[in-house]
Amino acid sequence: MYAKDVKMNLEEVIEETRDFLSEEFEVDRDLILPENSLKETLDLDSLDYVDLVVLIEENLNIKITGEDFKGIETFGDFYGLVQKKLAL
Amino acid sequence: MIVSQEHIQDFLPHRPPFLMIDGLLAVTAERFESVFEITEHNVLVSDGEFKESGIIENIAQTCAASFGYLDREQEGEPKIGFIGAISRVQVHALPALSCRINTIVEPTHRLGNIVMVSGKSYLNGNLLLECEMKIVISE
Repeated sequence: MYAKDVKMNLEEVIEETRDFLSEEFEVDRDLILPENSLKETLDLDSLDYVDLVVLIEENLNIKITGEDFKGIETFGDFYGLVQKKLAL
Repeated sequence: MIVSQEHIQDFLPHRPPFLMIDGLLAVTAERFESVFEITEHNVLVSDGEFKESGIIENIAQTCAASFGYLDREQEGEPKIGFIGAISRVQVHALPALSCRINTIVEPTHRLGNIVMVSGKSYLNGNLLLECEMKIVISE
């Protein structure tokens, strides 16, 4: 059940996000923690960020731009961005 | 046709024998369409067929020429682009010699200087190959 289908609370969005990120980037779900680095944990290069944008759009139905990623270091920062975009 | 064979080299850096596009039929920010005829001297023809690598290169050059066209429309010089990644390739059929293929490319996402596109090549309306590409545009 995705945010685009039914209004979810932030906790549900975070759990959903952990699911699709761990599956797509083949990372242990337990490493996707608010204090961990998004870039290092997912081993993102510049091309991978485009995949991340596509995943977010497909799963959460929100659009992320390059500007949005400025200042996003940790998953906690990232969840804050998602929360803002979803107006939760 | 908005860019014919005699002018296509003004919009991309590729040159024969590695020029895999003849012209541009239509270009908007949302959709690019090109045409290309498979000739016997094409270096990516083997056993009488234009190979998958050739169609993928044709999709990439459709991007290159179209981005170049859009740059020119904005009175800038065409920028150089590179293939960053190719994914979700599906090959349905390969065109034979003398066939004229049409390729349609749609940019789907852009993040900074990286553009993700969806490319599809057709022969007489039948899908030959589809893929996604990340194009890195030189700043």
